[in-house]
Amino acid sequence: MVRTSVRLLLSVVLLTTLQLAGIAQTRMPQLTFTDRTLPNGLRVLSAPDHSSPTVAIQVWYHVGSKDDPPNRSGFAHLFEHIMFKSTKNMKSEMMDRLTEDVGGFNNAFTADDVTVYFEVIPSNYLETLIWAEADRLSGLNVDDANFKSERDVVKEEYRQSVLAPPYGMFAYLLQAKSFVEHPYKRPTIGSIQDLDAASLQDVQEFHSTYYRPDNATLVVVGDFDPKQLDAWVDKYFGPIAKPDRPLPRVQIKEPARQKETRFTEHGSNDLPAVGFTYLTPRQADPDSAALRIVDAILSAGESSRLYHALVYTQQLAAEADADAETREDASLFVLTAILSEGKKPEDAEKSLLTEIKRLQDTPVSAAELEKAKNQLITEQLRQRETSNGKALALGEAAVLLGDPARVNTDLARLQAVTAADVQRVTKKYFDDKNLMVLYYLPQTQKQAQEKGGQGR
Amino acid sequence: MRRLWVLLLLLLCLPLLVNAQTPQATPPPPAAPHSAAFPKPSEETLPNGLRVIVIERRESPLVAAQLLIKNGGEVDPPELAGLADMTASLLTKGTQTRDATKIAEEIESLGGSLESGARWDSSFATVDVMSSKIPQATEILADVVRHPTFKSEEVERLRQQSLDNLTLMMGEPGSIASFVAARVVFGESPYGHPLLGTTESLTRITAADIAKLHGRYYRPDNAILVLGGDIAAKDGLALATKYFGDWQKPSQPLPSVSAALKDTSPKTGRIIVVDKPDAGQAAVYLARTGINRRDPDYFRGLVANSVLSGYSGRLNQEIRIKRGLSYGAGSILETRRDVGPFVAQAQTKNESGAQVADLLLGEIGRLSSAPPAEAELTPRKAVLIGTFSRNLETVNGLVGQVGSLALHGLSLDEINRYINNVQAVSTADVQKFAGARLDAKTSNIIIVGNAKLFLPELQKKYPNVEVIPVSELDLNTATLRKKQPGQ
Repeated sequence: MVRTSVRLLLSVVLLTTLQLAGIAQTRMPQLTFTDRTLPNGLRVLSAPDHSSPTVAIQVWYHVGSKDDPPNRSGFAHLFEHIMFKSTKNMKSEMMDRLTEDVGGFNNAFTADDVTVYFEVIPSNYLETLIWAEADRLSGLNVDDANFKSERDVVKEEYRQSVLAPPYGMFAYLLQAKSFVEHPYKRPTIGSIQDLDAASLQDVQEFHSTYYRPDNATLVVVGDFDPKQLDAWVDKYFGPIAKPDRPLPRVQIKEPARQKETRFTEHGSNDLPAVGFTYLTPRQADPDSAALRIVDAILSAGESSRLYHALVYTQQLAAEADADAETREDASLFVLTAILSEGKKPEDAEKSLLTEIKRLQDTPVSAAELEKAKNQLITEQLRQRETSNGKALALGEAAVLLGDPARVNTDLARLQAVTAADVQRVTKKYFDDKNLMVLYYLPQTQKQAQEKGGQGR
Repeated sequence: MRRLWVLLLLLLCLPLLVNAQTPQATPPPPAAPHSAAFPKPSEETLPNGLRVIVIERRESPLVAAQLLIKNGGEVDPPELAGLADMTASLLTKGTQTRDATKIAEEIESLGGSLESGARWDSSFATVDVMSSKIPQATEILADVVRHPTFKSEEVERLRQQSLDNLTLMMGEPGSIASFVAARVVFGESPYGHPLLGTTESLTRITAADIAKLHGRYYRPDNAILVLGGDIAAKDGLALATKYFGDWQKPSQPLPSVSAALKDTSPKTGRIIVVDKPDAGQAAVYLARTGINRRDPDYFRGLVANSVLSGYSGRLNQEIRIKRGLSYGAGSILETRRDVGPFVAQAQTKNESGAQVADLLLGEIGRLSSAPPAEAELTPRKAVLIGTFSRNLETVNGLVGQVGSLALHGLSLDEINRYINNVQAVSTADVQKFAGARLDAKTSNIIIVGNAKLFLPELQKKYPNVEVIPVSELDLNTATLRKKQPGQ
């Protein structure tokens, strides 16, 4: 839905930045961009592309739900909504007037590590939107009525994403149970209780702590003149001062897992689900490329191993998935299965473990490796069909990987992954001591068990 | 504690004030607009009747190819709901020369994807690959459309997957509401059943039923092939001829199909509650008939709907932005070959189900009571035009849009007339359209949620509420209720 996609299962909503040339006859367009930093610390990445008369603008703030204040889980995301309310020079919803009303659109999302605001607009409105983004970075001016009504919207978002879908709470718990120390243990959407506790004071404090030019990256891709863009950025963002206070950063490290943990929870689902998570390194780690390939081998398409084994051949699961969920500080490799009618979670667990063991015991074939790489290239090409997609790729490289050039060079990293790498990372990370298992069973099963227990 | 927070706030506000130096208090105005033009499709009909359309767009090295059959769920026999969708889904599950595993393996080794399914009025199979791989992908596409085998083990496998899928959907208030809405609006007419079938109908479908539907409707003179992206028109046409040119047209005539409402049109103005006590949120739907795709009022309808829908549309303004009652409210005027539905909807906490129903009815009614101001209509038109243009930025969007025009027998040049057609709609047109085609009084309301939290309030205003416990809901019939023993 509109405005905000909180990712529960995935740490970051960004389409994966995997790219890979692989095949000689396919031209993989390089993204040529300009990178400059203003004296106040604002980083500006820009790439002209005149294929349509539109321009994509994104502002990446390096603050996410891991930075939620104490007892305010969900606050970074609530704050993201508030950024569309009034500022010194803009009335509530004026962003919509400047984008939607002229044929563009805007949205934003919050992830564990970042909050990203974006617009795609007819290119003749570029200066207007540079002004508007600078204005909301300069400060907010929100009243209590607006704050409360938007907080109600976020509570409905919680209900719509967590409570209403049968596996919403499964995704939520999968993240919550996967971290012990790190604030990643609080899923981005937070809790109703903590949202209710949030106040307008929290809003002002959060803005002045994290919304500062040296914590922001502006990305502009599309139909613009580079000189003109630079002049507008200098004019509107240049005067915003860099505070001299240090930026707080999460210092907590997630400890290595020492033994397997398991949980059983019950929900409104009719079919049981099983989830595994393994703790894996931060996104910038060199092993991320191989883990991404493992993800594709296990779950990309109907020829993938999990689909073929659990869904197609054994008919144990209605859905089976794997995901290399990368995060800035520590990542998860997630495997999930929603069972078919009448099947046992224990059997799905066994099958998932069999697939893990197969990866560890036998190197993948050259053809299977090549297939995974081809799937990742095509995915990359699709992401980069639009200016907004290109801007997302640039922003992710700059903010989460620390180097915008990785928008192009990660290609080589993926190309370099070998069958031995795949085997090595699966042995290294898919260890029993590094496993968390979650069974998510229908509430009705619990009631049936309890009834049975009382009766006897 | 509280005082401490205030103190902290004062301190932290200081830099905030220093920060507030944006040099200009009003937004700078826009420059002159830059113009856009969409690519022109080329087309040709092969001797066997297959219509081939190619649209060149060379920026990204991607091609999408879509084979459309001009019939879908509307041809399902009433007791075999879901037949067209099962047929289309099984195309990729085995041909005379490839089994399901081989099909997936081959297409995915190309880095591509192959999808098939049925919609209303059409069935489709689509491949989506890097342009260097399009010849191999087109060969696979032709094979799955022309030579599927519908093996019984694949039928059984898909049947179980569809049943599981249905179980998942019946766990969500939103999907239950949309199933019920279709039955309420279309009754026993062809658009009334769930596209993917019901538990009972899926259990009845046989491999023979599937082969029969395939034989009847999957023929070149009932099909359209659209190729779009990084491919020259002549290369696209050559591929089509190579892989589809020898597809034989059967001698018997094409069956004629109508999904129009029957004489016994369903009753309107119903208020239906499906009680699902464990629902974490209530889905509130307003549903009624809309228009068909070729209706002369099509663009008036699109513009009228855009006043209601979209982020700043009236529904989201009233329900989300002003009142915080939902994460999002909107509406869809879904045009089909025959009259399709108009649906306005929002999900809200169970307690506010009745209030949201009132707001939906109120906003639909308001649209016909007065014309929107020009200042309101202009931005809503801009939203339509912008969304349309962005949709054409991707190869898949382009192919989908052109395929839809072709399916309805409309001029492909409509993509280049879209902007003018939208701009030509007046404020008076919107009011007139809403009054004639979107009357609130003949609209139905469906709420799926934990009824005890909203039913008393709803009944105060609407004494004729029909309440159906979710355990008694039957999507096979327009009565929506399972037959009671003895009835």
